[in-house]
Amino acid sequence: MKFISIDMDKCVGCMNCEYACSFIQNEDFARKDSNIRVNYYPETVTNITMTCMQCTEAWCLEVCPANAISRDEETGVVKIDQDKCAGCKMCMLACPFGNIHFNSTKLVSQKCDLCGGDPNCVKFCISGALQFEESEDLFESKRSSLDGKLQQLITDGKIKVKGGE
Amino acid sequence: MGSERKVTKTLCRMCDDHCGINVYTENGKIVDIDGSNHYWNQGRLCVKGRAGVDFFYHKDRILKPLKKVDGKFVEIELEQALDEIAEKMNEVKSKYGARAMSIWKGEAIGFAQQEEIARRFIHAIGSPNYFSNDSQCFVGRWIGYSLVAGSWMAQPDFENSKCIVLWGANPPNAHPNMTQYIMKAKQNGAKIVTIDSRLSNIARQSHVFAQVKPGTDGAVALGIIKLLIERNAIDNDFVENYTIGFDKLKEYSMKFDEAFVCKETGIDKETLYAIVDAISSAKNKVINYVGNGLEHHENGINNIRAVASIDAIVGGFDQKGGNFMPEGFGQSELTLYDEVPLMHLDPIGADRFPVFYEYRQECHTMTAMDTIISEKPYPLKGMIIAGANPASTNPNSKKVVEALSKLDLLVVRELFMSETAELADYVLPAASYLERAELHYHGMHQVATLTNRLTTIPGVQDEYQFLHDIAHRVGAGEYFPWENEDALNEWLVEPTGVSIETLKANPEGYQYKPLRYKKWETKAQNGEKPFNTHTGKVEIFSEYLENLGYDGLPVYISPDYIANAEEEYPLTMITGARKLVYYHSRNKNFKRFLTAVPKGEVELHPEDAKSLNVKDGDLVKVTSKIGSMEVEVCIKHRKEIMPGIIQITHGWKNANVNLITHDDKFDPIDGFPLMKAVKVKIEKL
Repeated sequence: MKFISIDMDKCVGCMNCEYACSFIQNEDFARKDSNIRVNYYPETVTNITMTCMQCTEAWCLEVCPANAISRDEETGVVKIDQDKCAGCKMCMLACPFGNIHFNSTKLVSQKCDLCGGDPNCVKFCISGALQFEESEDLFESKRSSLDGKLQQLITDGKIKVKGGE
Repeated sequence: MGSERKVTKTLCRMCDDHCGINVYTENGKIVDIDGSNHYWNQGRLCVKGRAGVDFFYHKDRILKPLKKVDGKFVEIELEQALDEIAEKMNEVKSKYGARAMSIWKGEAIGFAQQEEIARRFIHAIGSPNYFSNDSQCFVGRWIGYSLVAGSWMAQPDFENSKCIVLWGANPPNAHPNMTQYIMKAKQNGAKIVTIDSRLSNIARQSHVFAQVKPGTDGAVALGIIKLLIERNAIDNDFVENYTIGFDKLKEYSMKFDEAFVCKETGIDKETLYAIVDAISSAKNKVINYVGNGLEHHENGINNIRAVASIDAIVGGFDQKGGNFMPEGFGQSELTLYDEVPLMHLDPIGADRFPVFYEYRQECHTMTAMDTIISEKPYPLKGMIIAGANPASTNPNSKKVVEALSKLDLLVVRELFMSETAELADYVLPAASYLERAELHYHGMHQVATLTNRLTTIPGVQDEYQFLHDIAHRVGAGEYFPWENEDALNEWLVEPTGVSIETLKANPEGYQYKPLRYKKWETKAQNGEKPFNTHTGKVEIFSEYLENLGYDGLPVYISPDYIANAEEEYPLTMITGARKLVYYHSRNKNFKRFLTAVPKGEVELHPEDAKSLNVKDGDLVKVTSKIGSMEVEVCIKHRKEIMPGIIQITHGWKNANVNLITHDDKFDPIDGFPLMKAVKVKIEKL
């Protein structure tokens, strides 16, 4: 299945993803409406971006007493049916990552549904930190990123390899 | 009955990045915008791009010509407006001469083509006075690099680079789309270095962040040069065969030892060495990219020349992975500088800043304000401004308002009412980028794009149509023979061998020439000038500048706030740090943008906030020698801004920083105003 991957080495904390998501949810650029969240920690100079990973074993889905949360068999997306949601917030408690939040206008739980297969946070991510990719392909980009780092270490003489020139 | 969704591809003009966009319409109404797979942005877009929908249907958009009658605007018909403007222009011309009329190109509504049309128009009516925002943006970097290497397109080959040094530039907010290229380079092992007074968004992802005092970049650059030469981490062949003045630079750079550089700039030795390490390990796959942070200083041009000298000695110019020098599209030229030379009419500012005029053929806007008020050296009485808001964005707003109010004729073409439009005699509705078809070029990939006119609004003219109609009314019609923008475009592409049909068939960009690197080598072999400078070589030392009375070397001059510190003004103010959702003074009328960034603020270091006894949201008065302004406090993390340095972003009507920026202190070479190292004091209110 395809899901949203996040490269912490690329996120500049510009907030485009939050604004883009908020726009889809509520036509505003309000942080509270966004399903994706970028936290910036100036002390360590780190951006940490979090959004729903559509867990294979989704605790939110398992705990929901109203059967409002289900998985789309075709795409793998874990979805909340807002008409069924009772607003009990059990899913929020169950999610270990805090990726479900409460929509205080509609009084229901809200989470990422991958915008039906074309996530806006990815389309409006200007750094390339967010990718919408097959889970199988994730290793490729991680590998190429690591390869780049290793090459730099070799160039800098910080690690030595035998062979070649 | 279901509505049919249609997609039209064109370019965005919500900022200067010009990304490819898909505009979705349903029954003729624009419903959404996202990024197209254009060469340049490859499917991504920032949220400003989508806001094309916001402005197109905004209730405050100006859609009818307005005329000021007894201090109030009344709606009039377009034909009446054009007739009256032409008549008043003729009055100004007959009373004061043609040079009393002027035109001013802004950044809000069109692409590069509108600039050429404006330049053509003003010469066609016999005045040399073309103005633009470029008196204080982009051109400082353009001139700095052009003096050294003969060109600057701000489109380096980021993706293939092994070391990107960003000087006073924060692409995520200023040129959002550059971010993905820089991050791709990072993924491929490039070292990213950011040199800035603020820990910006791009600094967060940089391997090296050098936090420097404002305006001291030249000292950092010369310190880097000294160390690179000492380590022999330079391209000796390139230096020997393609540059002038290396020995002089070598000798001069000796003054910039680590102790001096660290003391002057505020960085530490380890950081300086880390920058030099990053540059030397990348060989010539190095990019020094200068941002607007290096302009707006009294020593800006020489600081930029010093940075360009790094590219020169490592041989990075026009290399794959270096400061690529794109080849042009070769379209017909609209300007009339050869056909109608008007140098004898004393273009405003040309005598004061000859390099600025010679390199750009444009007049100096700060001098224009003085000219309007004093009528010296001659009266300047009429101005047509298109998509610019100098009452907010030029330095010393109070004087700008005074000057513009004094004009006999001020015409402002705009999308929305602005501080400048308020002062106008006529405000005309301008066609936005969604209502124009203009040619645009992206240098990095050497692609041309013809923007797609999605729709037209009756009575709302594009730039060409307006200037065509006025030219024909004031007897300059011969220079505007093309019936409309489409006919003009046909003429523009004539010499290129690329047809309008080809461009229309390639709305995501048409690559007009394959990329070639190291063109200086081929040119030298063919007996041509390798670089477009006076000598044909990379001019580390400029005899041209020396002959004009400037330093031939990129001599570093300590900023005034360091060299002549004053007790009365203990803080140093920088301005102009970009906020993602805004474009200078634009977009402040979009509700959702105000949710994201609700107000103008003064950014303070926690130590300064403590000594001023202020907290977030407190109102303070900031005073310079030019004036005072009031603004709310935003205390930054101690790493994000240096103690003693404050930052205020421009473009806020009720917290206008340009009330206190300088229109009386300039870089002597390009005439850029001092807006980023301003001595100020703060009082709690």
